[in-house]
Amino acid sequence: MNAEAKTIEERQAALKGLGTSRKRVEDARFTQGKGNYVDDIKMPDMLFGDFVRSQHPHAYVKSIDTSAALEVPGVIAVLTAKDLEPLGLHWMPTLAGDKQMVLADGKVLFQGQEVAFVIAEDRYIAADAVDLVKVEYEPLQPLVDPFKAELPDAPILREDIADAKEGAHGARRHPNHIFTWEQGDKDATESILSSAPVVAEEMVYYHRTHPCPLETCGAVASMDKVNGKLTLWGTFQAPHVVRTVASLLSGIAEHNIRVVSPDIGGGFGNKVGVYPGYVCAIVASIVTGKPVKWVEDRMENLSSTAFARDYWMQGKIAATPEGKILGLWCHTTADHGAFDACADPTKYPAGFMNICTGSYDIPTAYLAVDGIYTNKAPGGVAYRCSFRVTEAAYFIERMVEVLAIKLNMDAAELRRINFIKKEQFPYQSALGWEYDSGDYHTAWDKALAAVNYKGLREEQAKQVQAFKAGETRTLMGIGLCHFTEIVGAGPVKNCDLLGMGMFDSCEIRIHPTGSAIARLGTISQGQGHATTFAQILASEIGISADDITIEEGDTDTAPYGLGTYGSRSTPVAGAATAMAGRKIRAKAQMIAAYLLEVHDNDVEWEVDRFVVKGAPERFKTMKEVAFASYTQAIPGVEPGLEAVSYYDPPNMTYPFGAYICVMDINVDTGETDIRQFYALDDCGTRINPMIIEGQVHGGLTEALAIALGQEIAYDELGNIKTGSLMDFFIPTSWETPDYVTDFTETPSPHHPIGAKGVGESPNVGGVPAFSNAINDAFKAFGLTHTHMPHDHWRVWKTANDLGMHA
Amino acid sequence: MILQDQVQLPVNKEAVFQALNDTEILKASFPGCEELVKHSDTELEATVVVKFGPVKASFSSDVVLDPSQGPDKFSLTGSGDAGIAGFAKGGANVDLTEQDGGTLLSYEVNIDIGGKLAQVGGRLIEGTSKKLAKKFFANFEEALLNRHA
Repeated sequence: MNAEAKTIEERQAALKGLGTSRKRVEDARFTQGKGNYVDDIKMPDMLFGDFVRSQHPHAYVKSIDTSAALEVPGVIAVLTAKDLEPLGLHWMPTLAGDKQMVLADGKVLFQGQEVAFVIAEDRYIAADAVDLVKVEYEPLQPLVDPFKAELPDAPILREDIADAKEGAHGARRHPNHIFTWEQGDKDATESILSSAPVVAEEMVYYHRTHPCPLETCGAVASMDKVNGKLTLWGTFQAPHVVRTVASLLSGIAEHNIRVVSPDIGGGFGNKVGVYPGYVCAIVASIVTGKPVKWVEDRMENLSSTAFARDYWMQGKIAATPEGKILGLWCHTTADHGAFDACADPTKYPAGFMNICTGSYDIPTAYLAVDGIYTNKAPGGVAYRCSFRVTEAAYFIERMVEVLAIKLNMDAAELRRINFIKKEQFPYQSALGWEYDSGDYHTAWDKALAAVNYKGLREEQAKQVQAFKAGETRTLMGIGLCHFTEIVGAGPVKNCDLLGMGMFDSCEIRIHPTGSAIARLGTISQGQGHATTFAQILASEIGISADDITIEEGDTDTAPYGLGTYGSRSTPVAGAATAMAGRKIRAKAQMIAAYLLEVHDNDVEWEVDRFVVKGAPERFKTMKEVAFASYTQAIPGVEPGLEAVSYYDPPNMTYPFGAYICVMDINVDTGETDIRQFYALDDCGTRINPMIIEGQVHGGLTEALAIALGQEIAYDELGNIKTGSLMDFFIPTSWETPDYVTDFTETPSPHHPIGAKGVGESPNVGGVPAFSNAINDAFKAFGLTHTHMPHDHWRVWKTANDLGMHA
Repeated sequence: MILQDQVQLPVNKEAVFQALNDTEILKASFPGCEELVKHSDTELEATVVVKFGPVKASFSSDVVLDPSQGPDKFSLTGSGDAGIAGFAKGGANVDLTEQDGGTLLSYEVNIDIGGKLAQVGGRLIEGTSKKLAKKFFANFEEALLNRHA
């Protein structure tokens, strides 16, 4: 069958464009062990770096003796802060406007902090030499509890800025205080709280955890002293920003730095920031003139690179007796660790925590966040979520449950009567956001019907009776969640990282034979960009996705972009891709019209070709146009077929979803069994349903991990108690339940193809659904709220505290 | 972490107290003690090798004995540095009471462990520490009985 004989539908299908469950093109290499990760990079004469790390959470460094280490054959050098100081690299700026020690400068502030960097011929020699570096410490009192940071006897952690009354985000009231960030109307909210008929209060803690990507962080730096070029391969979620920062820090001109993110084995926010290992590898390569590799091990990853969450959220929610929410108040104490190294847009020190009004039409609200220094690892990254959106969603979805208990009202109904209505979009929230689109009632009703919510509540009531009658020791919990995310950062007018506007980009070249390459400013870490971005383009330019190569991550070839995190790739770079595709099509239209000898306006686009209006037998396919663009002299049109788009989104996108978790809980063992999990996601236009389903499964499993046990816990001495996978919970197939996924489709009105982003929704919505199920199970026995993570011990403890073991 | 226990010893209070101040007996009692140097009657330096699960740590420790309230009470404080593996500091208070023709030794050991030992061995530390404390007093009893045999 020749191309002309195909129907429109057949041609459409052949493109494998939007809405197609196209198989991931990346998987051929990943499933055959042919991925190319940082640790796969091997270069002649490559050296290895390894850190001496602090055993103390808080101590002065009295001396560092490297002599024994230097005697080990194969050890090249040992760097300390003294060696970096002349270069001005013993400290480095953080994304949050603070600075962080690269190597301990007279003091250590968290267990696992980088103290010295050993450079050796192989990693085993380096590890041996690390053991021989003698560091003399003078231990200081550690500060572990953020609520004790401003007590009179609290130790002062950051002596370097102890006297600074102003930080990057305004006034500081104490040496251990970083910032206060306020949003909304404090007076109006407090006035409503004092007059409202019903006010529910709760302290909601979202514990400290860690993204823990399978591949840890690492880099290979290679300084070519002959041509003055520095090449840096690394686990970077934002390679272009790394290049700019490396240039500003090192003084090497930006065109002489090439940053490459090869395949990345999961990022989840952990690989957004800049770590001392990257800086030390660069310095070591400049000093030695040889390539230097640094790859951290699992314990180093968990104990020193960026953690997530650690928000203590004090909430008050006011309502009428009928359940109409009148106001929301939140004060958050944010434990940032030793340095404020949050990866948030510059103007948002608490990220988008002000999305904490959630899916509800709350007329008045107030949010304050206090950032606090403690003797813990720095970070505060968005672990599979947009900036602090998971914390916000958990907060409001717990507060709604707490309010439902206070009102003695069904929590599903309470949500329904407070949802923002479809006709209210675009909706202006009390804390400053303009929600683009939504249809919450439709999604909610579909979810409740899918699980037979009424039937579940009847079953649960019977189960409670049976428990009270001594017939069973199992409780049933129904975890509800309706979340609204804010992703796709973001408009340059209010979103930047280190001053770089958070636009993104796409550059397309159509080859003469009608295949194409597109390069983007983002970088996939498992999201499947090579698959999905080709699909966006296929639908825009009528070339099959199979004939389009997607390339990212090499700053020498890719256009400048701000990288991949916060579900921003589809909303921003996906939009840039569509817009660049439209530029291609605009030029192609002129060429097609010329070839068809008609006016530009007399041809119209149809799937993969331009057709003369009213004469469907006369057409030129995009392939034919591409060939002509390279082979014919077309008057008034430049040869070739290329386009670039830098896209500055007019607004964020607001994906949402309705999740329901049904759990059976053994009160005597604390074991939890997830009977059913239903996840409805609305991410606007769906590019690849198969990839969406995979994203939802992965995100839900990470949500399960966080809600049911995963944490970075410190003891009162500042020791990390969960610094290895022996104690840090990663679910396996044993713990992972079956998920049922579903969808509604409410396109974003401002995105070129209506897509909103989905990769992080399941983590944002999943955590409250799991946690609400646990809390709900004990509701009939007097529980209002119990903190995560709900591991077996804590669930047992909750039952025990409620007197259920008597 | 606080560990408490009691041991009944078949010798009188003074003999137990003397033994607690005897570096040879202490050396024989510390599980994993490879070296014990006496700097004075109350100041000791010890090298103790301890295994917490997967981490083997060699502590260079300074120990200070306090016999001032003897023979009813005895205490010691110490700190140990195991380099990359971590560190420990703490103390022990011992009460000696004559009972049943012998001496009841009651001890309260207060120990803080930090660094990699605490990280990796978190869940093993308490169990291991209890075991080590028991072993210490078992060794102590044995050495004491040998002395008085």
